[in-house]
Amino acid sequence: MKLILFLIFIIVIVLKSQAQWTIPADASQKINNVEITPKSLTVGKSIFNKMCQSCHGKKADGMGLMKSASLIADSLQLQKDGVIFYKIATGKDQMPPFQSILKEEEIWAVINYLRILVNPDSVPPAKNVKLILSGTGKGNQRKVTAMVMEKGDSAYIMQPDVDIHFYIKREFGLMRFGNDYNYTGSSGKVSAMFPTGIIGDKEGVVTIYAKIEDSFMFTETTDSIVQKWGKPIVVNNEAFDERSLWASRDKAPVWLLLVANGIILFVWLFIILVIVNIFRIKKLSKLFIK
Amino acid sequence: MSVSINKVEENKTERLKEIVNHLVQPMGKSGIGFKIWIAFLSILAIAALAMYIKQIQEGLSVTAMRDIASWGIYISNFVFLVAVSLVGSLITAILKLNKIKWATSLTRISEIIAVAAVIFALIIIVVDMGRPERLLNIFMYGRLQSPIVWDIIVVNTYLVISLLLLYLPLIPDLALLRKYKTDVPKWQSELYRILSLGWQGTDEQYKILKKSINILMVLIIPVAFAIHTVTSWLFASTLRPGWDSTIFGPYFIAGAFMVGAAAVVVAMYIFRVKYNYQCYLTDYHFNMMGKLLVLTSLIYLYFNVNEFMVPFYKMKTAESSHIKGLFSGEFSMMFWMVQILGMIIPIILLLFKKFRKPKPMMIIAVIVVIGAFFKRYLIVTPTLLHPFLPVQNYPESYHHYVPSFEEWTITLGSIAGVLLIISVFVKIFPIIPIWEVAHEEGIDNDILNK
Ligand code: HEC
Repeated sequence: MKLILFLIFIIVIVLKSQAQWTIPADASQKINNVEITPKSLTVGKSIFNKMCQSCHGKKADGMGLMKSASLIADSLQLQKDGVIFYKIATGKDQMPPFQSILKEEEIWAVINYLRILVNPDSVPPAKNVKLILSGTGKGNQRKVTAMVMEKGDSAYIMQPDVDIHFYIKREFGLMRFGNDYNYTGSSGKVSAMFPTGIIGDKEGVVTIYAKIEDSFMFTETTDSIVQKWGKPIVVNNEAFDERSLWASRDKAPVWLLLVANGIILFVWLFIILVIVNIFRIKKLSKLFIK
Repeated sequence: MSVSINKVEENKTERLKEIVNHLVQPMGKSGIGFKIWIAFLSILAIAALAMYIKQIQEGLSVTAMRDIASWGIYISNFVFLVAVSLVGSLITAILKLNKIKWATSLTRISEIIAVAAVIFALIIIVVDMGRPERLLNIFMYGRLQSPIVWDIIVVNTYLVISLLLLYLPLIPDLALLRKYKTDVPKWQSELYRILSLGWQGTDEQYKILKKSINILMVLIIPVAFAIHTVTSWLFASTLRPGWDSTIFGPYFIAGAFMVGAAAVVVAMYIFRVKYNYQCYLTDYHFNMMGKLLVLTSLIYLYFNVNEFMVPFYKMKTAESSHIKGLFSGEFSMMFWMVQILGMIIPIILLLFKKFRKPKPMMIIAVIVVIGAFFKRYLIVTPTLLHPFLPVQNYPESYHHYVPSFEEWTITLGSIAGVLLIISVFVKIFPIIPIWEVAHEEGIDNDILNK
């Protein structure tokens, strides 16, 4: 009896994992309380690019690193917001559950973003703005400030509520710093503390970027400054100047040279001895014939 | 009294003629079967050459090797061929030094297998190189710190010793061939003349010859161990799951002796049936080789248990995905076929005398050899497909490795090349050492020299 129950248990598990999504009846009743605004869309877009793109692809067509589901096809778009919410929150098989990773309103923001992806004309076109980055302070209290303005008829108008991403240029790419969201205030400015312990080039120079990215209101914009804020990098070539296993060929360790060449010499000495013997045999034949 | 001595001597001379005829006679004739065989091998080899030319023109992109799996079937084939070649040292050196009589008639078979396999092991390494025209750079700029350089040194040394060990015991036979096999084309008799060094069979010549062979027999054992241990270090000296193992050296050597013994059994069977060598490759030989094969397989089984049991018990993160891939994942089918069909079942069967008869043993040995080939594949590729550093933004296809048509053709062509060398060799030289057999039958040098 126990065995049968166990088998049924296994079968249920196997079937469950193969089956379609099981959506509770009340899921579709759940109401999307996040309005479609440029701001929420920007949140949705950056979450999508960070967490979903790898599997679902840049265009959300399901062609990421792995085969997943298309999120722009009718098969998804015709589903109710509440159902999609449930799917993102709970996941299935390869699709990870996001309920403990994303806040509710963030999931709604992603859903709004997916809706706009197939209907891009429903939001106004992005505007060009001017982004200016500056740095102040010293020691541990260095900070960068980004200022966003739009060219008005007679003067520049400060832009509040723009999310700025701050980066430091590293060897192979950009390292993000600052908060997850850095919205400009009413003066059009937002600041971020420069992290301590950053290593720069030989003089300690670092390049800092501010970017407006993934935004629905503004086109992509970048500004950068160069500051002597980092620690100078210390290049340690000494390790390669000594004899070691990783050094160049003329710096092989002495013991290795001795052992390896010793073995080679020893073996080849005997091989040469044998070859000499071959000639000795040949010579003996000639003697014999004489 | 003197009459009976003469009689004995006459008998022995007669016996020698018989032996020589028996061992030399199949050499010249080549029936239709042989011609088809050679044609078949040549076609494979030429196809491989064509594919290699394509590879040179288009680069290694004709293979399925990509960023993640940068070693594929070429390198597994290299390991396989090196493993097979180790049998030369097992039979010609280890058995002979232990004064095991029945090994005598197997020495040349195993030595030619060793030489042919090692030659193609060297060739396949060049095939695996993306820029073969830079081969000389290894010698010009190679670092002695690198196991790859050790491998190059040791494989070439092994080739030289194996060639010498093939050649030296051939010298007295060449003298016999000059005497008894005169119906050969000019180039062939010329070849015999040059290679035989005008051998006269004086006591002193025999003394030098035997001493030289003894030196080589002792020398080849450490070099053979070195060639395969260093080959294993190419893997074991990296920090990769599945390769990061301290027993890789003995693990490889045990596996090599196993596949080598199996290869010799297959060759023995073919010569026995095709050349009617029942009296030189007797049931007794097969029985003993069967026991040897069981012994080497058991050692290999023991190392296999070690190699998988310890990481399986610990299941360290990186190892565990490797082990799971082998035990129940992508490679499980091949893995269990290789382990069960290629190792465990042969061991069980060969424990019974019934299966140590020529025919069943030949079949078992063929399976062991094929299993051994795929075993090398399982050692090389799955590990590469589990890189330590997480990889991003690679196309899906980079995460799998299935050898391309070109790779298979070249690999099969290299094995055809090995068989081609052996097939041509046995047409020109006797595959059973005549003088050693004669000595064992008590026919002394005076009679041999007559
Ligand atoms: C590890 C890869 C992976 C990641 C990351 C991922 N998904 Fe998925 N997703 C999948 C797979 C695979 C499926 C298909 C599941 C199935 O049908 O079995 C799926 C299905 C879905 C579905 C249901 C599609 C349908 O047609 O019903 C939605 C909605 C979805 N994902 C949204 C998201 C969102 C939003 C994110 C980011 C927050 C995300 N996914 C991140 C792999 C992933």
